[in-house]
Amino acid sequence: MSATAVTAARHLRPTKAAPRILRPLPLSEKRLPVPHVNVILRDTHSCRLADHYYHTVRDDLMYMTYTHEPHPRKPPRKIRPTYDPNDPYTKHRFNPPIGGPTWSKQPPPPTTAENVVKLERIQLHCMVKEAISSKSQLLGAIMAFRAISGESAGAGGRRTSEGVQIVRGKKQIGGWIRQGVPVGVKVDLKGPKMWDFLGILVECVLPRLREFSGVPMEGPSVALSTPASASGVVSFGLPPEAMALFPQIEVNQDAYSRMYGMHIHFITNAEGMGARNRVRQLLSGFQIPFARK
Amino acid sequence: MLPRNALSACSRRTPTRLWALSRPLATEAAATEAAKPSSSTLPPHPPKQRRPKPVINTGIILNRSPLITREPTLFEQAYHAYQARIQRALFNPFPDEFYFKPGTILEERFKKEEEEREREAFGPPRKAAASKDSAFTESESKSASESSENQSDNVDEPMPRVSEADKKGDVRSLDRRMDRNLYLLVHAKDQKGKPRWRFPQGGREHGELLHEAAKRDLFAECGDHMDAWIVSRNPIGVYEPPLPADTEAEVIPKTYIFFYKAHILAGQVQPDGKNILDFAWLTKEELESRVDKEYWLAIKDILSDF
Repeated sequence: MSATAVTAARHLRPTKAAPRILRPLPLSEKRLPVPHVNVILRDTHSCRLADHYYHTVRDDLMYMTYTHEPHPRKPPRKIRPTYDPNDPYTKHRFNPPIGGPTWSKQPPPPTTAENVVKLERIQLHCMVKEAISSKSQLLGAIMAFRAISGESAGAGGRRTSEGVQIVRGKKQIGGWIRQGVPVGVKVDLKGPKMWDFLGILVECVLPRLREFSGVPMEGPSVALSTPASASGVVSFGLPPEAMALFPQIEVNQDAYSRMYGMHIHFITNAEGMGARNRVRQLLSGFQIPFARK
Repeated sequence: MLPRNALSACSRRTPTRLWALSRPLATEAAATEAAKPSSSTLPPHPPKQRRPKPVINTGIILNRSPLITREPTLFEQAYHAYQARIQRALFNPFPDEFYFKPGTILEERFKKEEEEREREAFGPPRKAAASKDSAFTESESKSASESSENQSDNVDEPMPRVSEADKKGDVRSLDRRMDRNLYLLVHAKDQKGKPRWRFPQGGREHGELLHEAAKRDLFAECGDHMDAWIVSRNPIGVYEPPLPADTEAEVIPKTYIFFYKAHILAGQVQPDGKNILDFAWLTKEELESRVDKEYWLAIKDILSDF
């Protein structure tokens, strides 16, 4: 028995060949057979890093982020809106509270076992400047992102899995970008693929990256209430050399025209002041190093 | 759960206002009551003995987190196998000409492994198709099995999930029960000299913060031949040992043990052998049989089930 048979998943009943198809299935527009039911693919294996999160990191994070609040919190201060809401002259105007938006100045919600910081998705993003002049320059980046992420649109019958998406220019900025022109690619990783990507990043890519001291982190003087500090997202960039270190790319690196750098965003459920610091605590539980600038 | 004076012992300065608040407030009713006995002589109050300040101790729940993934249950295994078959039946065809140069050894090996995975998922190929060229498939399968035997030497076998310590039943080893959270219990003499199983614990010096005391106590009892990390500055649980049922119980101060969570990162426990007689790394279920019942009730909810 070879190694593949040993590691293969266990069946409760002996497998046998699929039954013969007597009446052929209806075909879709792409000439593919359409099954009688909506098939949705779920987890095919238990995930190592997800296990690590649920058995070790989550408990520790709850203890680390807990603040003892024996008394109920004070109700938030009522801030006067810019215009009098009862004045018929200004009734339908946009009427924000004075002093700008306050979402980033809210204190974090009390820590409970339910709202411990949790990784929701990882987004990879790459801008290809040459694609402004010729769209075909995006193809290499699309292939590389497909290989790294393993995601494809509607994969496993799930509508929410969007695969590798093309990013278009939002604004017309003279000499740099035009509106609606494809300029980059991005992909959202969720579920087991997200944990697999995190494991590969930490074990194969970051240790072999040259001159990498850690994900840069600003000093302690930065206020906790800035939008970046309170948004619950940690982002960093990887140089083009790093793409060649992903094992999915490494096996046939010469099939790609060139290597691309990428931005990685770790998007979590953390909110309130200092949310980014809590995300850093979460990520260091997966051995992502952080270093002061 | 905790009386007020237990918490006051935590703070560095004892607040004087607590004493002031314990006096009755100066209301009119109190004033009239107070006026009555003042006319007659005061009955001699027996000198009431106040219970001394409670003692705050720290206990450390030293944890070795799982080293390998949990063994899936029978149901999970069947579920994953079923989903893997769906995936194999429906996924996009693998672009092998993109990843392998045609005619290479690597490609041949991949195709053989892929065939075997296909057979594992869907069983042997259908009989009608097989009967056409049965002789050919038989000879091919023979050669395939021979070549797979030859190749099996090259493929790395995974490490066993059961370690030497599991086979020997060595509870002191950190390699035992690799898929579970383990906790350190020490076999220590209590005040009467009777040995008991408990978590490492210790006292707190004057002016010392609790989490600092926890770190000091851990190394004091378990030796400094290990690298350990106290997870947070907050305690994760509290235990109040029962007072001895004596008449003198009023004089004995209450004791509170605040538990802190810690992880062992390297090294091993090396107790001095004077007060600590033995130690063991145990899972939650194994722990129950060793500790006292009251101790178990206090700690069972702060330990991990996995």
